[in-house]
Amino acid sequence: MYMKSPGKFSRSLLLGAITLMAAREVSTAFGAVIRVKGSDTMVQLASGWAEAYHKVKPGVQVDANGGGTGTGFAALQNNTCDICDASREIKKEEVEKVKQVTGKDVKEFVVAYDALAVYTNPANPITTISVEELTEIWAEGGKITSWDQVMPGMKGKIVLFGRQNNSGTYDYFREHVAGKTPDKKQREFRGGISEMNGSAEVVENVAKTPLGMGYSGMGYKIDKVHWLKISPKKGEPGVEPAADVARNGKYPISRKLYLYTAGEPTGEVKAYIDWILAADGQKVVEQEGFVPLK
Amino acid sequence: MPDSTSNLRRRKFNFFDAIEKPTEWLIRLCGWSSIIGLAAIFLFIFKEAAPMVPRLNWVEFFTSPRWIPNPAPGNEPSFGALALLVGTFTTTFIGLMIAVPVGLGAAVYISEFAKGRVKETLKVVIELLAAIPSIVWGFIGLMVLGPIVKWVFTAEPGSAWSVVMVTLHLATADSGASQGTNLLTGGIILALMSVPLIVSLSEDALRAVPDTFREAALALGANPWDTVRRVLFPAARNGLLAACMLGMGRAIGETMAVLLATGHNNRIPLALTDPVRTMTATIAAEMGETVHGDAHYRVLFILGIVLFVITCGINVASDLIIKGVRNSNKGPK
Repeated sequence: MYMKSPGKFSRSLLLGAITLMAAREVSTAFGAVIRVKGSDTMVQLASGWAEAYHKVKPGVQVDANGGGTGTGFAALQNNTCDICDASREIKKEEVEKVKQVTGKDVKEFVVAYDALAVYTNPANPITTISVEELTEIWAEGGKITSWDQVMPGMKGKIVLFGRQNNSGTYDYFREHVAGKTPDKKQREFRGGISEMNGSAEVVENVAKTPLGMGYSGMGYKIDKVHWLKISPKKGEPGVEPAADVARNGKYPISRKLYLYTAGEPTGEVKAYIDWILAADGQKVVEQEGFVPLK
Repeated sequence: MPDSTSNLRRRKFNFFDAIEKPTEWLIRLCGWSSIIGLAAIFLFIFKEAAPMVPRLNWVEFFTSPRWIPNPAPGNEPSFGALALLVGTFTTTFIGLMIAVPVGLGAAVYISEFAKGRVKETLKVVIELLAAIPSIVWGFIGLMVLGPIVKWVFTAEPGSAWSVVMVTLHLATADSGASQGTNLLTGGIILALMSVPLIVSLSEDALRAVPDTFREAALALGANPWDTVRRVLFPAARNGLLAACMLGMGRAIGETMAVLLATGHNNRIPLALTDPVRTMTATIAAEMGETVHGDAHYRVLFILGIVLFVITCGINVASDLIIKGVRNSNKGPK
């Protein structure tokens, strides 16, 4: 008995070594799971990628979840996700927090562009609006509250639909549209905006509300709503949200969409991100209504 | 002889004797568990909120509707919960305005007038109503009731209905309700949710009134309406009041339904069809994404304490009212 065991022993040692040293690679072979969490704006896109990638590599399962960009960064710190979808750039405190908890630097990937469209109801004849006017409509203390101030002949109070205050879309629209106070501070949104839990919900509500106005990603356009051409200043020609103008920055409310990882991605995670950045992944970006990199 | 039997008994293991004590303790624990649970909940909520209690601007909290928990970089957060408090109270108020008359009416009908199969069917259906999950109610508010409310409260500016709506504060704008999810929709949904509770408790209270009361009323020549109003209502007063108070508790603490049905809009409503936002909905919508331990997180717990104090207040008040009613009943006799 004793004489035979060294063989058994060394074999199990070898197995243990493989398991320990290459845990990631081994687990890949038996169906790796990539955990993705973050931006609600990107959740459709993220699940689109996950589905398409499943066809390419059936052994890899991608779990794509929303919850908000902030939630994603928190998950990255706590190591409850491998990739964080973000609809805004990571903040300095968040970089430091990830570094503090995981000991790794975050790695950033720009994966697509998104243009925030301003939606109105088809019953409303308005076609163009300026960022200046949007500021007065949305920001705290703004002067525009009824439609005739921006669209002569259109009566009634403007009914505003936005996102809840922890969404990346909320942050982004506030930053780009609410403007600055005289002492160079960011203006907040006015009170009395209905805060919706999802981008699609904003569009859906605008579709049901003749006097409504709401903001959401370009990808959430449905037939029952219009989007407005946007000009930087009143009187200038407006730019309709579209791919090329979002990329080159001519459309005033466009932004980059990011993926973040804690540390340089390796193994399956790296392969997944490479695929997203390549032609196949970018095709999904276009299908989901966002703007591909090229 | 007695000695030998007691020895025998001592030696023999009796299962029921052995579990006598533990069972007693177990039952005692069950009795105390609600108090222990309540204390634990209160301690937990208070522990999470405590660091913020001295730092919070309480005047702003109760007097300002400016709720900006996630300010832009460089700005100070602002925790004015006035609009949330008003939202909670107004939706509950509207809910009760509908639920109490409907609930009491239904209870009177079921207990005094309905007979046989009608009575049984009504009771079962009302109990089924109570079994519908609150998120489903919210969905009904959003998808079914909201559009109906919007349709009813819409008018051409300047038309008669538009003038009526603005004068009676049914709507702020002369074109009517801005959106279907609002105070009224939320109130109706809350009413529908608390009616089953009010009906079944009131019906129990009415049934507990001895039949001799009804017979005496009939003998004096009272018609059914007088019997209900002058005899049954006073006799069942405590139970009816308790039913309404419990209905109110149900309405004030409701979360998911009001989150969907009220429009989640941080403003002080000026008309019946303005959108509002309640404290419970705010906690539900924002708790998931706060950073554990920061000011926003703690202020949400403070909202929880405020809700807790309000519901405790309601319960204590209803207890006192019920006692008061009991004493005044005894008095004149």
